[in-house]
Amino acid sequence: MPILRCFLLFLLLYPATVSAFDLAELIRKVEQQYNGDSSEIELEMTIKTGHWERQLKMESWSLGRERFLVRILAPAKEKGVATLKVDREVWNYLPKVDRVIRIPPSMMGGAWMGSHITNDDLVKANHIDEDYDFTLLEEDERRWVIEGIPKPEAAVIWGKIIYRLQKEPLVPIEVEYFDEEDVLVRRIVFDDVQAVSGRTIPLRMQVLPVEKPEEKTIMHYRKVKFDIDLQEEYFSLGRLKGRR
Amino acid sequence: MLWQLALRNIWRNRRRTLLTLSAMVISSALLILCLGVFSGMLKDMLASATEQYFGHLVISAKGYQDDRDMFANFPADLDLPALRHPQVTGYSPRLRSFGLLSFANNSAPVELLGIRPQHEQQVTSLQDHLQSGRYLREEERNGAVIGAGLAKRLAVQPGDELVFVTQAADGSIGNDLLQVSGIFSTGDQGHDNSLVLVPLGWLQQLLVLPGKLHEISLRVEQPRQAAILAGQLTGGMPPELEVLDWGQMLPEMKEVVASYDVSRMIIVTILYIATGLGILNTFFMSVLERTREFGVLMAVGMRPGQIRLMVLLETLAMGLISLIFGVGLGVLLSLYMAFVGIDLSGSLTPITYAGGTILPRLHAVLETANILVPAVVLLLVCLLAGFLPANRAARMQPVVAIREE
Repeated sequence: MPILRCFLLFLLLYPATVSAFDLAELIRKVEQQYNGDSSEIELEMTIKTGHWERQLKMESWSLGRERFLVRILAPAKEKGVATLKVDREVWNYLPKVDRVIRIPPSMMGGAWMGSHITNDDLVKANHIDEDYDFTLLEEDERRWVIEGIPKPEAAVIWGKIIYRLQKEPLVPIEVEYFDEEDVLVRRIVFDDVQAVSGRTIPLRMQVLPVEKPEEKTIMHYRKVKFDIDLQEEYFSLGRLKGRR
Repeated sequence: MLWQLALRNIWRNRRRTLLTLSAMVISSALLILCLGVFSGMLKDMLASATEQYFGHLVISAKGYQDDRDMFANFPADLDLPALRHPQVTGYSPRLRSFGLLSFANNSAPVELLGIRPQHEQQVTSLQDHLQSGRYLREEERNGAVIGAGLAKRLAVQPGDELVFVTQAADGSIGNDLLQVSGIFSTGDQGHDNSLVLVPLGWLQQLLVLPGKLHEISLRVEQPRQAAILAGQLTGGMPPELEVLDWGQMLPEMKEVVASYDVSRMIIVTILYIATGLGILNTFFMSVLERTREFGVLMAVGMRPGQIRLMVLLETLAMGLISLIFGVGLGVLLSLYMAFVGIDLSGSLTPITYAGGTILPRLHAVLETANILVPAVVLLLVCLLAGFLPANRAARMQPVVAIREE
């Protein structure tokens, strides 16, 4: 009887304990796909709401998981507006008034550049593999479905995240974000998978808030360069202001 | 004749009468004071919500007050007859925005109210709560009057330059500089920590909402009757707009006001039951002591009804005397508390409750109901307390009564 119980326990725990590390690693790879060690990307962001639709052209640089800089190139009214993320801090630069603003913790849930992406996404997305525990929900020959539940001590905003990943090549297909009441809040859908700069990544990402079906944010990568020569010092407040 | 008898009777045992009178005078005076202070607290609370922020009535697009949606706006040049209603003593057109206010390394989420200084002062009284600096001026382009808590958090003084960032109505990133004109301190945490008044034109430009408003806030003559006026004004409104009174915007506050009326009656009842028992005791004693006297009166031909009336007149006379002195003393005490009051800010901080703020001070307000209710109830209690002894006196048998030792 005790042997049988041990065996059952072992059976129950086995898949979880063995694959937990691997799943976190898998998610890390997916979340890091755009960043690599370093990257330089030119992208278009289209934001659609019930009241307006607009397109922004931006350029961005990243180094590792902690450094990220993005600057708006067009439209003219917002040219030069930039965001810098270093570790868990976010600053915005506003050329019109020539001021740098640090985003306080209470505003981290706010929209970034008016899109459906929050400041929090910029800061915490890169830590999802550290802040969540993962379990494999489904698997077939083409894809994995992985569920992420926040670790008890993690300060995160989502109650659950479900990843649908394609196995070969490894790219995300869809990510679903649930709030603490287990209600689906938003979906991110990936497509236009292409091989660029030595990697295969989806070039288009659509953020779809579930409550407002008429709204969405589309990020489309136009020029992508990975593993370029960038130093940590590059990500400075001076650079944020566009001074080289 | 009965009146003369009654008046003479009450002065026969002076000590007893004076003791009873003093109990009645003091209880009614204290009651008037107590209700006055209670009303003062309530008025402070209501004023903190209405006269420092909402106004008594607010005209806005239907549903705007629920979610404060930036797009639920209306043109500023609408001709609204409500603004000319004789009971409306002032109105203030406003535009609202939520965003991030920043100075040097500090930032805080804030609520901006775009206002026209001369109009806003007709509705709210923030100009009376300035801690430093001055109120917005009509010609100022980008001045800002900010709450004291916010000023502390951002570490700013009048004259400092702030950056405000939000999302404009066309989706663009609205950002511009503001210059701190003044700092207000109302004691209300919510407003002191996040409210900023800015010129209406400046905010319209920033939000890309030229000529638009989110609300028109009204001041009315009688705040407690605002709900009735709101109903009257609704008729003349364009269909897309609504008029809300403070009770609809602050349902908790409405509950507090309603429960105040109930607790006032409870306090009156408790205090007067005690006073009433005292009066009852005095009169019973005096009737018992005067058994022989009543016997003689009846023997010489006074009817039981007249005896009853006489005792009742005695109590009524005492009631009237204590009423005059009680109300006089109560009003004097209330006046003192209204003009001087007691400052408790040394030991208490303001409490924000049900959307309003209770200030750390004892301060009375004179309201007719607060004087009328104690006065009328005092007379009723007197007559009730006199009724039992009067009945007893009237039912005496003359022969038995005269023989009583």
